Amino acid sequence: MSRVLSLHDVVKHYGSVKAVDGVSFEVNAGKITGLLGRNGAGKTTTLRMITGVLRPDRGRVELFGAAVEGARDRLGYLPEERGLYRKMRVLDHLLFLAEIKGRSPASMRPAAERWLKRFELSEKKDSKVEELSKGNQQKVQLAGALLFDPELVVLDEPGSGLDPVNVVLVRRLLRELAAEGRAILLSTHQMGEAEKLCDEIVLVHAGMVVRSGPLAEVKASGGRDAVHLEFTGDGAFLAEHPAVASARIDTNRAELSLAPGADAQELLAAAAVRLRVLRFEVVAPSLEEVFLEAVGEAAPPEVAA
Amino acid sequence: MRKLWAVLKREYRETVRKPSFLIMTVLAPFLMGALMLVPAFLASRGMGERRVAVLDGTGRLRAAVEGLAGEAPGERSAFARGRGTNVPTGRIVPEYVDLFTVDPKNAVGPYLERLSVERTPKERRLDGVLLVPADAFERPLTHLTYFSRSAADLLAQERLGRAVNRALQRERLAARGVAPAELELILAPLPVETVQVTKSGQERRGGEGSFVLAMLFLALLFIPSLVYGQEVMRGVIQEKTDRVVELLVSSMTPMELLSGKILGMAAIGLTQMAVWVAMGGAVAAAGLSEARSAGFDLSSVLRPSIAVWFVVFFLLSYLVTVGVYAAGGAIVSSEKEAQQVLTPVMFVFLVPWFLMMPILTNPDSTLSVVLSLVPIYTPMTMFIRLLVSEPPAWQVALSLVLSVATIAGLLKASAKVFRAGLLATGKRPTIPELWRWLKEA
Repeated sequence: MSRVLSLHDVVKHYGSVKAVDGVSFEVNAGKITGLLGRNGAGKTTTLRMITGVLRPDRGRVELFGAAVEGARDRLGYLPEERGLYRKMRVLDHLLFLAEIKGRSPASMRPAAERWLKRFELSEKKDSKVEELSKGNQQKVQLAGALLFDPELVVLDEPGSGLDPVNVVLVRRLLRELAAEGRAILLSTHQMGEAEKLCDEIVLVHAGMVVRSGPLAEVKASGGRDAVHLEFTGDGAFLAEHPAVASARIDTNRAELSLAPGADAQELLAAAAVRLRVLRFEVVAPSLEEVFLEAVGEAAPPEVAA
Repeated sequence: MRKLWAVLKREYRETVRKPSFLIMTVLAPFLMGALMLVPAFLASRGMGERRVAVLDGTGRLRAAVEGLAGEAPGERSAFARGRGTNVPTGRIVPEYVDLFTVDPKNAVGPYLERLSVERTPKERRLDGVLLVPADAFERPLTHLTYFSRSAADLLAQERLGRAVNRALQRERLAARGVAPAELELILAPLPVETVQVTKSGQERRGGEGSFVLAMLFLALLFIPSLVYGQEVMRGVIQEKTDRVVELLVSSMTPMELLSGKILGMAAIGLTQMAVWVAMGGAVAAAGLSEARSAGFDLSSVLRPSIAVWFVVFFLLSYLVTVGVYAAGGAIVSSEKEAQQVLTPVMFVFLVPWFLMMPILTNPDSTLSVVLSLVPIYTPMTMFIRLLVSEPPAWQVALSLVLSVATIAGLLKASAKVFRAGLLATGKRPTIPELWRWLKEA
């Protein structure tokens, strides 16, 4: 596993506002790394420093062991605010996007045609960009970020603006790219989406990294395991059990969160003595819960659809 | 370099494909020609024919007056040559009336009646009545009287007066015994011919035409720069609002982006110029021979070296203007705002245009020298000086060095403003903010 990108204590101010405040993390080849946080957490600013659009006020960004400027041609970028030249023809535009990455347009033509075919846009290759639907424009832009075979792909909110079918298509595509050994860095505020897709997680809040590491580790780092129980009998006693921190008990089911260090097995044993257990499930905490705990807030954030 | 080339190519290809480019390229010469020819045409038509009755109390001016009818519009008689007025004056149709035997006082009335628009049918209507008193030959202090509907009918009045006066002079001289053969010699005025003596001692004739030529060249230096400057600005603003710019900046340095755009525009400008030169070539050739037959030898002004200088200064003018507009585009966030910011800038650029007369008539004055060394004015001012005079080589060299240095500096500053300004689509930055951008990036 080789390191593709590393950030060392990166800081960026906008006037007096500190948008990014000492961020450090790494991105490795063959992995999908998710940069997670709410709107305004500093995700886009961080990505812009990685892609060389902004320069950090302090700290260092290393791409392939060198400064960003020297390695931009090995990086594909899908910015948060999508944009293409509206009057350009689709194929011309793709070739232009490859050319500004230092590739010769002639050599990129087959790749461009291949990507258009994959995104089912082959018939549109001579249309002007503005004649395409918004979703199709997004796909053209994604193709532009990928067609020149970048080793690192940076995507700012790749799912936004796509319909569910295309979200699945993109998810499968990213998996494939990672399997080919490319490094993927994406930002999102949708924790559920990240949980399905990412190998590595970097949780940011207010410009700072609050948790980072492999998905499983991050999830294990906080939140509590919960037990979902279905039974017949009177389950009221479960709330008093030492392994249970808090409980919500209905007639035939209970959702219990475990006390720190408690063993779910003990609880099962205790339940089996007095109840007829129909279902017993230990549920790992969601990323959402880990995030909320790390940020120190109980109320769930508003999540945009 | 490859990225710069990619941007250049894209700018070029996308602009040339636009219908507006084709229209501008093909129609502009016609528009320009129309702009120059229509007023002249209208003026000469407006002069039209002047029907003038000359009431001659002396009875001896018939030949001189009827001679006026032979002069074509705008044509100058051999005697008038070099007198300066080459404004078309229209044709004068004289109606000679011999009043030698009649008392003029009573004869004038019916002719004045014919001046009236209401009371006279068009065929008989007069535009002017010139009264020559009977004692014109004897008394030197008498005067001619010109009756006309318009008090400002100066040209017809001047020409009539001149013709009659010439005839009077001739008659007076003849009356004093000067032989008719000598008369022409005595009365012939000498035309003034302008000869420019160059440093190397060569003589150049035909400077009179350089004014018109300078106008034309200045327009060619200036107008495409402004047009494409605005085009670049629009492009930059478009990239900001279309949000393409983030992709561009993540792939190349702002310097590469800016240089690519500006050079792309320069290539477009040169293409257009080449088309115009090709289109105008035939017309110009015809125009030149016409001008030569009219007495102007423009070939001394249109030297091959001028063509080279024109290309040099065209590029300089283009690069400076387009550079300023590109930076402007990076700073502002909408076209409307851009117009507000750049209108005053345009006036600053236009200074040499307003000062063209003093520069042309006095190309080596302090004003001309100073202006020609100020980089944004160099292209126009130095070019005028090269056209009509011979500025010292060191001044030309210095102006070129300063211009190139300014363009480089401008590019660099623009690139910095670019990076900072491109992503800021909110409100226009204040001057201190701009200064910070310049220092930071």
